[in-house]
Amino acid sequence: MLSLLLAEITPAAEHTAAAHEAGAQGDGLVHELVTKFGIDGVNVGMQMLSFAILAVVLYIFAIKPVLATMDARNRKIEDGLKNAEATAAKLAETQAAAAVQLKEAQLAANKIIDEARKTSKELSEREAATAIAQAAAIIAKAHQSNELEHKKMLEEARGEIARLVIATTERVLAKKLTDADRASYNEAAARELTSV
Amino acid sequence: MASGKKQISQLARQFFKLSIVDGRLSEERVAGVLGYLEKHPPAKPLAVLLAYRRLIAGEVAKGLAVVEHAGPVSPAALAAIASAMSARYARPVAAAAKPATGLIAGLRVRVGDDVYESSVSGQLAALSASV
Repeated sequence: MLSLLLAEITPAAEHTAAAHEAGAQGDGLVHELVTKFGIDGVNVGMQMLSFAILAVVLYIFAIKPVLATMDARNRKIEDGLKNAEATAAKLAETQAAAAVQLKEAQLAANKIIDEARKTSKELSEREAATAIAQAAAIIAKAHQSNELEHKKMLEEARGEIARLVIATTERVLAKKLTDADRASYNEAAARELTSV
Repeated sequence: MASGKKQISQLARQFFKLSIVDGRLSEERVAGVLGYLEKHPPAKPLAVLLAYRRLIAGEVAKGLAVVEHAGPVSPAALAAIASAMSARYARPVAAAAKPATGLIAGLRVRVGDDVYESSVSGQLAALSASV
């Protein structure tokens, strides 16, 4: 709109400048150049004013919001970068802590495994020793039982043999002893009983 | 029940003590005790008489040596045994022979609860016990 107004004004200004040119012919090369290129001071001033107004308007309503938006974006990006760096640092710290914990856990696990192996070995050895002792006790008991059984058998056999011998002796003596033998034995027995 | 038995035993012991004179069983006293019991029967007279008889039998057995024998035994041997037992128990002990073929040979003398034995079967039994 402003440009159109300036464009309408421009012919009158040009007419005024031409009058000035006519009035000042021969003022030099500058004047000739200005005249030849059609440069009008008012026109240029108006153009500059128009441009300044446009620039101000653009600055206020376009560039400034855009700059504000860009600044906000930049701040956001910077904040994001800062957050990212902090996050990365925290991540690294966390990873380091996790690595330390993992290492400690690994050490603890290795220790537990070693202790478990040691305990298992001790338990196994103890159980083996117990089993050996039990086996030895069972064998000893079996030997003892066998010996007792053997002794009992021998005693039974000896008792049975003695019983048979005595029974046989009794039967033989009962048949073979005569009354004279018995009378003689009775006299001896009477002497023995009376001497007690 | 128990006190009844105890009373019977005490009564029988009292009668038995009355039957002993100078440490020996008196036939007259025994006859007197029996006569008294016949005239004055106590409660449960049969039980009292049985207990009294057991005591008398024990005392009689103390004065009798039962000589069990296998084969002949001479009167002299019996007399020697009676003399020895009288000396041992410090009272007159008579000897009574009783055949016992299970002895095979030898003698077994019983005086009351005491037993003296010298026989083949006794020696074989001792041998069997030692084996």
